[in-house]
Amino acid sequence: MQFKCNQTLPERAIHIALKGPGGTCQRGDGSACFIANNVATTPGDMTERGCTYAGCRGVVGGPVKDAIQLTHGPIGCAFFSWGYRPHLADSDFHMKYTFVSDMNETNIVFGGEKKLLQSIIEANAEFPDAKAVFVYNTCSTALIGDDGRDVAKQAEAIIGKPVVFFECEGFRGVSQSLGHHVGNETIFRQLVGSVEPEGDFSRSINIVGDYNIKNDIRTFEYLFEALGLRIIARFTGNVSVDDLKIMHKAALNIVHCQRSATYIADMMKEKYGTPYINVTLWGIKNMAQALRDTAAFFGLEARAEEVIAREVVRIQPHIDAYRQRLQGKRVFIYQGGPRAWHWIELLRELGMETETAATTFGHTDDYEKIFKQITEGALVIDNPNVPEIEEILTRRRPDLFISGNKERYLAYKLGVPFVNGHTYDTGPYAGFVGMVNFARDIDKALHAPVWTMLHQYARPAPAAHHTAHGFEEVES
Amino acid sequence: MTSCLTLQERAVAINPTRSCAPIGAMLANYGIHGAITINHGSQGCATYPRHQMARHFREPVEVATTSLTEKTTVYGGKQNLLAALKNIWERFHPTMIMVCSTCLSETIGDDIPAIIDEFLDKRPEVTIPILSVKTPSYIGNHTTGFDNFLKEIALNLPDRRKKKGETNGKINIIPGWVNPGDIRELKHVLREMGLHGLWITDYSETLDGGYYTPRPHFPRGGTTVEELRSSSKSLATIALQRHVGGEAARIYERRYNVPAHVLTMPIGLKNTDAFVNTLIEITDHTMPESLEVERARLLDALVDTHMYTTGSRVALFGDPDLLEGLIGLIAEMGMTPAYILTAADNRPWGERMVELTEELGVESEIILKGDLHELHKRIRQKPVDLLIGHSKGKFIAEAEKIPLVRVGFPVEDRFGYHRRSIVGYNGAIALVDEITNTIFERRATTIVSNTLIETGVEGPTAVPITLRNGAARHP
Repeated sequence: MQFKCNQTLPERAIHIALKGPGGTCQRGDGSACFIANNVATTPGDMTERGCTYAGCRGVVGGPVKDAIQLTHGPIGCAFFSWGYRPHLADSDFHMKYTFVSDMNETNIVFGGEKKLLQSIIEANAEFPDAKAVFVYNTCSTALIGDDGRDVAKQAEAIIGKPVVFFECEGFRGVSQSLGHHVGNETIFRQLVGSVEPEGDFSRSINIVGDYNIKNDIRTFEYLFEALGLRIIARFTGNVSVDDLKIMHKAALNIVHCQRSATYIADMMKEKYGTPYINVTLWGIKNMAQALRDTAAFFGLEARAEEVIAREVVRIQPHIDAYRQRLQGKRVFIYQGGPRAWHWIELLRELGMETETAATTFGHTDDYEKIFKQITEGALVIDNPNVPEIEEILTRRRPDLFISGNKERYLAYKLGVPFVNGHTYDTGPYAGFVGMVNFARDIDKALHAPVWTMLHQYARPAPAAHHTAHGFEEVES
Repeated sequence: MTSCLTLQERAVAINPTRSCAPIGAMLANYGIHGAITINHGSQGCATYPRHQMARHFREPVEVATTSLTEKTTVYGGKQNLLAALKNIWERFHPTMIMVCSTCLSETIGDDIPAIIDEFLDKRPEVTIPILSVKTPSYIGNHTTGFDNFLKEIALNLPDRRKKKGETNGKINIIPGWVNPGDIRELKHVLREMGLHGLWITDYSETLDGGYYTPRPHFPRGGTTVEELRSSSKSLATIALQRHVGGEAARIYERRYNVPAHVLTMPIGLKNTDAFVNTLIEITDHTMPESLEVERARLLDALVDTHMYTTGSRVALFGDPDLLEGLIGLIAEMGMTPAYILTAADNRPWGERMVELTEELGVESEIILKGDLHELHKRIRQKPVDLLIGHSKGKFIAEAEKIPLVRVGFPVEDRFGYHRRSIVGYNGAIALVDEITNTIFERRATTIVSNTLIETGVEGPTAVPITLRNGAARHP
């Protein structure tokens, strides 16, 4: 597939591919090589990617509910990462507060270490109940060579609680993906295993790579608990610092987001021998499989079947009703990473087919999973930029676009129904019951009368000559 | 009445009211038809502001980034910026490109103007203006980026070949950091007066656009580059925010001999009068009947609502220019701006606010370098009836059960505030209504024959109860 918008940008061709006959990859440059991914963005291509800081502060570290979330840098990084991602918890300190060492020009010239130390001490004094201070490094403080690790150590000695320093400067890596890795490594190194609790952990698990977006955990935690399992920690939705400290005790790690959190599962496997399984907690088939795989590990197969049967009976009538209304619709999924392949099966259960799948920061393993599941003729695109998304929406005309808030208004301006997959419209979407929410939102998006209105009544833009100065030329 | 000025002393900022410079430049650039922004820095420096603007304006917001990486911190970001300029030019053919810097590109010391010159030397067919604006996050705040952008416009775009006495008959208006609805209201005022405005800049439609099929290549609206070129030939420049555009207005005066009028943001009766009087003074046009009617309607609204608003204690936070304008209306409504908090470290402004509040006969604490945590602590110590500021005030509002009247940027948890106006006579009327209704919702449960029946004292209030003999008793 040749993109008109890429006529002057030939380097984008290797990031675009169609699934050919027999599962082959037909790449945009004419070769059969696999789609290029996880490489630097073409400058000025209007990418949707964010930075390493965003991946670390926004995704992995931010959901920890009782840590002071302190940005070491200038104000903007802290302001923009404050409270917009609905990684909820049973308390809301982490959503309500953002802390920043507020670097100004003088600090940039003379160094910000003193101000960082003072900031940590003051933040802790204002909120003495917080269990740790998470410090996120930014571009400017990294460039001037502030030794944040050392400051964190000093601060830890003074305030007597963990000060976790994340080296997540925005310029590192090619996307927010590296920020996830930094977040995993740092939490693992500094917190996991720092407390050795007594007790029986033989039937316990961690849920790794779920961030409790709009309370997703309410849709699946009770299912694992119904198997008789105890959840020690979530990484990192609705998690406390104390949970993270003892997460190494779990008998099994259940890895949901396999892009942002496999790292910690691997590290735990290596250091503590904790096995892990990969699961998808969205959709009927996948959720059931997740419960079966988990149950098989603990020898609880019979109970899993009971739980699955009970839940499926509850939701199946709803799903069937929605499937009738959604049958045959073609979907463009564009998500950060794994959701682009997590949801292909879920959409099929609702009678829909993924006709384009794209990710912002997916790696080869993500794209392999996408290729395996999509049908022949479907388009796959890595790190798509605004004109490419616009071209897909106008030329391929999917019935539905599932993406994030930034892309929402582009879809709307082009008259394409849209569901927010990043932070959900009216979630949670996970588990069995969440799927009913997802189906309802898709149904609402597709069948709202507004689309008929647009198609029947919208007109071309009027000539623009008089708008710029706000004066309709009545006197001329 | 004595007001006081305090400087917050904490090193750590907790819940800041301000964001950083690039978003200001990006916003201002949206007011130029067909202009595209390239943000020279990490990808997050473009993506975060885009996300923030999309949540406020509910529009697609598109900004390019040079996607700097680790390697560029060693070798410099020149190749990335050259590539970005090439790609943006070839793919979009914009009418203008604005390159704004970041902490990263400033700290590694990239010479952006020199890189732009190199690009233009290699590509003689590129005749559009390419502007460089300095916007590192560690200097000032989001308004600094907007202001720096306006200065660059004033320095670089206007036509210097101006014959003596040559004029385009227009008035340069620099609205500052306002909403699309505000710009439309200001346009209305000029239109009613029969005047032509040249808007520097105008995102009233680009960031509050309609649905058209097919979607136009560039969003409709915005001031054109050609108009900006002729802005040196305008009759005068009016800047409606001192810190966002005030300096640019002075550049117009110094360089192009266009007289500068730097006013307080026109919120409330007196501030709007000052704006309208300035227009009259510049042009000899008279106040039209229609504006007289609007003005009288504002006075009518103030008198209709005064029994509900007089004496209420209000906490205000936000950018200096917005606060300065708001205080005017708050005082006209008989309310006391108990706390006026800004993140800016701007002592002259603070001192002016002390004077202004004393002149207005209200007692305020003006807090500089402040953050919302500080405001929250103040409110816990001595409560207020109402909070006025942007969406981030909601955490205080929820915790203390105080209503929040949303003004400023960002308003991300409500719909359509970007379409509203708080400037001009109409904007003031709307804000008076909104504030009064908010007080109604808080105080009253039943309405009987147009009289609100209060259900006891809910929360703090400083409304003096006037006794029959004229004495006032404070609760």
